[in-house]
Amino acid sequence: MLGKGLKRKLEQEEENERKKMDPHQEVMPTFYCLQRQTVLTLSLSKLHSQPAHSDPGLVRRVLITNTLRHIQEELRVEAVLLPQSLATDIKDSFTSALAEIEDLCPAVEITSSLTNSHKFRQTEPVHESMESNMDSALFQFTPSLLDSAQSLFNHCPSLLADFSLDDFLFTEIDNLLFDNTPCSSSPSPSSGSSKVISMTFKSDLNELDHIMEVLVGS
Amino acid sequence: MSEHVSAHVSTLCEDICPTDIISTVEFNSTGELLATGDKGGRVVVFQREQESKNQPHRRGEYNVYSTFQSHEPEFDYLKSLEIEEKINKIRWLPQQNAAYFLLSTNDWKVFPDPNITPTDSSLPCWHSSPCPDKTVKLWKISERDKRPEGYNLKDEEGRIRDPSTITALRVPVMTPMDLMVDATPRRIFSNAHTYHINSISVNSDYETYMSTDDLRINLWNLEITNQSFNIVDIKPANMEELTEVITAAEFHPNQCNILVYSSSKGSIRLCDMRESALCDNHSKLFEEPEDPSNRSFFSEIISSISDVKFSHSGRYLMTRDYLTVKVWDVNMENKPLETYQVHDYLRSKLCSLYENDCIFDKFECVWNGTDSVLMTGSYNNFFRMFDRNTKRDVTLEASRENSKPRAILKPRKVCVGGKRRKDEISVDSLDFSKKILHTAWHPSENIIAVAATNNLYIFQDKVN
Repeated sequence: MLGKGLKRKLEQEEENERKKMDPHQEVMPTFYCLQRQTVLTLSLSKLHSQPAHSDPGLVRRVLITNTLRHIQEELRVEAVLLPQSLATDIKDSFTSALAEIEDLCPAVEITSSLTNSHKFRQTEPVHESMESNMDSALFQFTPSLLDSAQSLFNHCPSLLADFSLDDFLFTEIDNLLFDNTPCSSSPSPSSGSSKVISMTFKSDLNELDHIMEVLVGS
Repeated sequence: MSEHVSAHVSTLCEDICPTDIISTVEFNSTGELLATGDKGGRVVVFQREQESKNQPHRRGEYNVYSTFQSHEPEFDYLKSLEIEEKINKIRWLPQQNAAYFLLSTNDWKVFPDPNITPTDSSLPCWHSSPCPDKTVKLWKISERDKRPEGYNLKDEEGRIRDPSTITALRVPVMTPMDLMVDATPRRIFSNAHTYHINSISVNSDYETYMSTDDLRINLWNLEITNQSFNIVDIKPANMEELTEVITAAEFHPNQCNILVYSSSKGSIRLCDMRESALCDNHSKLFEEPEDPSNRSFFSEIISSISDVKFSHSGRYLMTRDYLTVKVWDVNMENKPLETYQVHDYLRSKLCSLYENDCIFDKFECVWNGTDSVLMTGSYNNFFRMFDRNTKRDVTLEASRENSKPRAILKPRKVCVGGKRRKDEISVDSLDFSKKILHTAWHPSENIIAVAATNNLYIFQDKVN
């Protein structure tokens, strides 16, 4: 049951459904994708912002980065298995995640603070600044991430125009999934925007790869 | 284990003040002293009263013995940054003479002065590479109850006397004075850690100790401050390949060549320093295979071990991850001996806990003196005890409303769904800002110390 039009709480995990999950299954439950979307967005925003409470160690950053890598791997596998339908999904996941990040972190301020924190590290003794390149490596992802996001937006303006984030998450994604699964009888896209998507998805997928590579440095 | 724990409440600080959040609690090896460190860089040491026949109901209460500032807050004028020090860990040395010694390790918080508009828009943040150095300090705490009187060159107020007025010499005499407790830093071990120090552990040889950061473990001689020996290094050549960090480490309680360290991926490695100088290769690897039915996006995060402790006997290891406490047999690497659920009702809330960062909270765990009971903290000022023999467990609460002196602590229960009984609390009502991360158990008696944000609670077993 894909539960068309049914709003679900994003915080709840559906353990029973997860147990039935088979990586080779062609139909993904909606809530799994929703939660993956949430975790993806959260992880990206966490890497960008400083923790509210004090956590001076690397543990938090490493765990968040590993979580992102795991999601990336899943999406990559799915993209390979089902190029037509779920590549759309993957791209949309990233697009909306990046759109949220854009809202949270305006480009100008981030660039200036990055420059300054880098300056801060440069005044330290040599052995210390060499050891802290983990920090600088993660910070340096951001300018190129935003550049990539910009180019991605340029490629698919129609996608963003047609769907607001809320629509996308709670209603349209059900339609998209239902209409675009290989199991459905009419594989041809039923909405005009998906036509645009399929034409440009190949180049966008490359953009996507590029973004993820830049993001997690893999 | 008695479930009736009489509550003797001793509060450390009345006001809710961020710098007074307790960050570590530790009994010394006899239980006579209890040390706490806080986020303001302050150490407070409590001493147990001698039991008196005249007042048998006052069963050795703990009173403040010494308070000292481990480091003064600094201000960096050049960068308009304020630097504050927070105590991370305290470990007592075994007592060898009348004085007491403890090791403390520090963390630095750097944030801009709001009154100054800096040219750089520096964000308040923690730096994994600090501006002041990460240090371990050895403190000597000693008593003074006599002072010299009758100096020749100074008068009683300390003013220098005119030498021409001195006509006779006398020997100064030691006279009694009110007891004073002095704390002096005797060693400062520095320049060995770039990353955040998460553990220190004193070796059973009483000559060495180790300090552990995210990527390295260093061995020190207590007498030598200008050099340390690196025994574990997991830093990859390329930091972008970093996927695992060290989260805690401890020496074996009686074998001075054995140590263990835990990781963010849920594994524990045991190293033998006799095998090789650099212990990058472990002797044993303790790891439990993942349960596929419990797989989620947060599986790795909740498997990260926040604390590892040898039992007093040295036969067992206890580890704490986000949802459980596990007991391992040192001779069995493939799975834990026992697993205890601390707050499994949080498993369905992991996404929210990821969002508000609570999933990264580092809970500690402790053994009781006989290794039969385990204790660890939770949210809502709850803490949990597990009896390994009877398999019974209890949830207790450390809060001022529920604990009056001599009162008996009532077991608490969290309701996970369905009908909530009168005394139960529902999962959604839990206060996640009230977390008990640090607890300590007296080495031989049933006395526990529980740190709840900026309050310290000391509970004792009921007198029959």
